[in-house]
Amino acid sequence: MLLTIEPDGTVPIYLQIRDRIVEAIAGGRQPAGSPLPSTRQLAVDLGVNFHTVNKSYDLLRQEGLLRISRKTGTVVQRDAHSGPPDPGWAEDWTGRLRTLLAEAAAQGLPAEDIVRHCRDALADFAFPAGASS
Amino acid sequence: MTPATLIAVLYVPMTGVLICLSPAISRPTLQFGVRIPGDRAAMPVVRDERRTFYRRTAAVASCCTIAALLVARRGSTWAVQVILVAELLADLGCFGLARNKIAAAKQAGGWFAGRRQVVTADTSWRTSPARFPVRWLTPAVAVIAATVLIEVLRHPSLPPGHPAARSSFTRYGPVIGQLYVTVLWTGLLLIIYRSRPDVDAADPALSARQYRRFLVVMARTMLTLVALIDLSVLLSALRRWQIGHFPGAVAVLPVAAGLVILSVVTVRAGQGGSRLSGGRRPGPAAVADRDDDRDDDRFWKAGLFYVNRDDPAIMVGRRFGVGWTFNFGNRLAWLVLGVIAGGLAGLLILHAVLGPL
Repeated sequence: MLLTIEPDGTVPIYLQIRDRIVEAIAGGRQPAGSPLPSTRQLAVDLGVNFHTVNKSYDLLRQEGLLRISRKTGTVVQRDAHSGPPDPGWAEDWTGRLRTLLAEAAAQGLPAEDIVRHCRDALADFAFPAGASS
Repeated sequence: MTPATLIAVLYVPMTGVLICLSPAISRPTLQFGVRIPGDRAAMPVVRDERRTFYRRTAAVASCCTIAALLVARRGSTWAVQVILVAELLADLGCFGLARNKIAAAKQAGGWFAGRRQVVTADTSWRTSPARFPVRWLTPAVAVIAATVLIEVLRHPSLPPGHPAARSSFTRYGPVIGQLYVTVLWTGLLLIIYRSRPDVDAADPALSARQYRRFLVVMARTMLTLVALIDLSVLLSALRRWQIGHFPGAVAVLPVAAGLVILSVVTVRAGQGGSRLSGGRRPGPAAVADRDDDRDDDRFWKAGLFYVNRDDPAIMVGRRFGVGWTFNFGNRLAWLVLGVIAGGLAGLLILHAVLGPL
């Protein structure tokens, strides 16, 4: 997986790392069970502080997407093929989605354009066969 | 001419040629230690400074080589070494002039203004790491073993009072030297294997593939050079132990061959393997609408020394030329440098005790 961040961008680096890993899992490039570098190794490769990567991994662990153990290292815990999410997760996500869509509406993007952008984004993700419809 | 003088003479033209060629084997986005966007590599100021640098450094290399040959004929090793230092300083001056011009043009033109500057990591580099070529250590280990064996067999028959038989310290001097070189370079290569690869934002997948090949090629070449250095030490030891009766120049031949091989491989590979094949190579037009590498000039002092306290890397790819350098903002890097300097100081003491090999 190629993980690209903007170190001098406006989004905090730990959130960028977290977002890129979530996108890689959704896109099928980092399936469930696949390994990720240790926090120190990824910090070296991105040239950022070790604590920054640690914060990203910890966030992903809390979201149930990563499993971190001394024995197996850092491994992707789940992906689109791992079944439905935990109860209650969808409510929280819907709240964040509503804010994101509200930003587009507030900026004057027509509803059909918003839907088209959503479809384009979904086209990049690896859903289980028959689930994308 | 002593072996030490011959090596010093050889270094002068080789250093000159390698420095002269450095801009040609650097990445297009790194010009004289200045990070520039890919589509600015063909700017007139960049082209002009490269041409001027070629002319200046070629003149420096020619003059210094002639001067080194003249003083070497009188057998003065230290004078050749002074010429080598003078050559390096003159080349550094040429580098500084070119760097200042390009940095000023970049600043004045706002070359990075409004561009998306990124850093890319290839996670497969860690999850499927390149394997260290352990087998390529075999020649060096074999030469060291042969040196120990010959010394053990020869020692009882050395004439009384022979300098090499004074103590066990002087007795195993050549082996200690061989071990220092072999352990030092193996250790550095292991650190380099754990360092981050040079991933180019314009085409991360291609540059990651090139870097994998580059690392393997450079590690094999360096381990070959180490074996050849050990062989030169063995040949010098044979003369010292009065086993072989051959001119001192013969002992230098393996090192000379190793340096030539390293130079050829370096030029062919390019910075971070950028000249190695790895599929499609994007041209300036192709990268114009892509991401740019992060403008990290502030971490490179004088365009040569990397100082970044927030970066946990001990070693990183060199900014000018081919190879690696230390992150001087990292305490572990200073520890490694201390160990290298300590070993070198020990060797110099050994050299002073044993006399010239």
